[in-house]
Amino acid sequence: MSSPSLTLPSQERPAARRRRLLEILGALAIAATYVYLVLNQPADITGGPGSASALIALSGFLAGAVLLIAAVLPTLPASTLVLIPVALVLNIVLGQFVGSTLVPFYLDAIGTVLIAVLAGPAAGAATGALSSIVWSFFNPTVLPFAAGAALIGCLAGLAARYGLFRRFYLAPVAGFVTGIIAGVVSAPVAAFVFGGTSGVATGAIVSAFRAMGDTLLAAITKQALISDPMDKAIVFTIVAILVYALPRRARQQFPFLRRHRVLAGKAPAGTTEAPAQGAARDH
Amino acid sequence: MTASPERSAAGPARPVRLNPLTLLAAAGSTAVITTAAGSWPLSLTVIGASLGLSAAGGTARRVLAAAAAILVPLGLSLLMLHGLFFPEGTTVLAAWGPARVTVEGLGFAGQRILQLGAVVLALLVFSFNVSLPDLVAALSARGVQGRFAFVLASTLTLLPAISARERRIRQAQESRGLVVTRNLLSRLAAFRLQAVPLVLSLVEDAGTRSAALEARGLSNTGPRTSYREVPDSRLQRTARAVLVLAAAAALVLRLVQAGASA
Repeated sequence: MSSPSLTLPSQERPAARRRRLLEILGALAIAATYVYLVLNQPADITGGPGSASALIALSGFLAGAVLLIAAVLPTLPASTLVLIPVALVLNIVLGQFVGSTLVPFYLDAIGTVLIAVLAGPAAGAATGALSSIVWSFFNPTVLPFAAGAALIGCLAGLAARYGLFRRFYLAPVAGFVTGIIAGVVSAPVAAFVFGGTSGVATGAIVSAFRAMGDTLLAAITKQALISDPMDKAIVFTIVAILVYALPRRARQQFPFLRRHRVLAGKAPAGTTEAPAQGAARDH
Repeated sequence: MTASPERSAAGPARPVRLNPLTLLAAAGSTAVITTAAGSWPLSLTVIGASLGLSAAGGTARRVLAAAAAILVPLGLSLLMLHGLFFPEGTTVLAAWGPARVTVEGLGFAGQRILQLGAVVLALLVFSFNVSLPDLVAALSARGVQGRFAFVLASTLTLLPAISARERRIRQAQESRGLVVTRNLLSRLAAFRLQAVPLVLSLVEDAGTRSAALEARGLSNTGPRTSYREVPDSRLQRTARAVLVLAAAAALVLRLVQAGASA
């Protein structure tokens, strides 16, 4: 993809099909695990640790995330690949800081969303999953959230692809919607694997719903629906600020930005389309 | 945020170097078996063994600091959540309005904390004791994509470098007159003044690095030669197989039990 060989016969076709299969399998594993957990509403959720559902949630979500990484990673161009470690560090540094403070937010996806906007949904999904796996070297508790992080990256990339970052006020809206979906998918992990949330502030919100008599899964899902959409709206806004602040030379490394006219501003040279709407925000 | 496993690579050489995959298999299967068993004596044993191992490896202080940063907020959150609000509990110890302290709730929270503590400690002892260059070499030798190894190694080595750069940027902005007050707006402005240059310089660096890596054949397919010898032996290979099988057996056993009781 990055340097097509001009002399050797291409081996792309079967490899691409195999990757597509891995991608579909990964997405299926994540979806099936979620559907199983929610439909079965395992009765042993508060029946003591070591519950089978914790193991199912762990293995299903992890397997899906690993399949997605295996499918996407080989296809990324080098300019995206070298950005992934940078994104992971941004996730970890900012997430570690916010995670333990008394704010019911996480802000641990800035790097993932940044990659997704610069390089597309596939790169975003791989970055999200990789981020959880590498971060687990310092903090093993983020490992089970790999599938949720992959979903956030994928949705952020789709939002960028369909032009939601072209207008400044649409970015937080896209983040809000992403947060709703990601929160609902991540809630079973928090409920079954941890039996709660890892922050004190989020724990307080869950406690409030438990006090009203909700089941643990319902309480954690509601907490996720309060925290996640706001959190992702903030993250998407921060990323929009960062991307628009990038100098044009840095942006030009990313064909995804040009191909789908992700950002507002003048149409880049080489396209015949009319300039994008309104204020050119180029620096 | 200052502790990083990558530093363990620079530590004093241990007399016996184990293959990093053996360590990984040991830590991973311990985590799986502890979760599957879900019994507090086993969790306590694993916690004790992990602490002992990290003390023997000379990493006890860093492992403890990292584990405390994770487990203290998690434990507080679980205790508050289940200790005070556990509608399923029947044996009430104390009640204030809607909050009821129940034996079942406290037991549930305690068991979860012990179990998570065991898993977290086992995995942290691995990541703080493993030699990162060995791990990368072992992964590449096993046919795991060189790209994954690159991402892993690059992230772990970039972390301290980026923290240092963030500090430099803050100092530079402060010398230009940045004053952070308690005001939320001022904090946001300060965040922007630091985050934008940080991200810009990182993206710029990444562009340079990608050209360099591309020139050295990062995207080429085909076998690679590694100049790093990773110690391995038949005993370790057998041990790895046994550990993985044990973890799988524990998983299956637990699922069958759950299926039978449901």
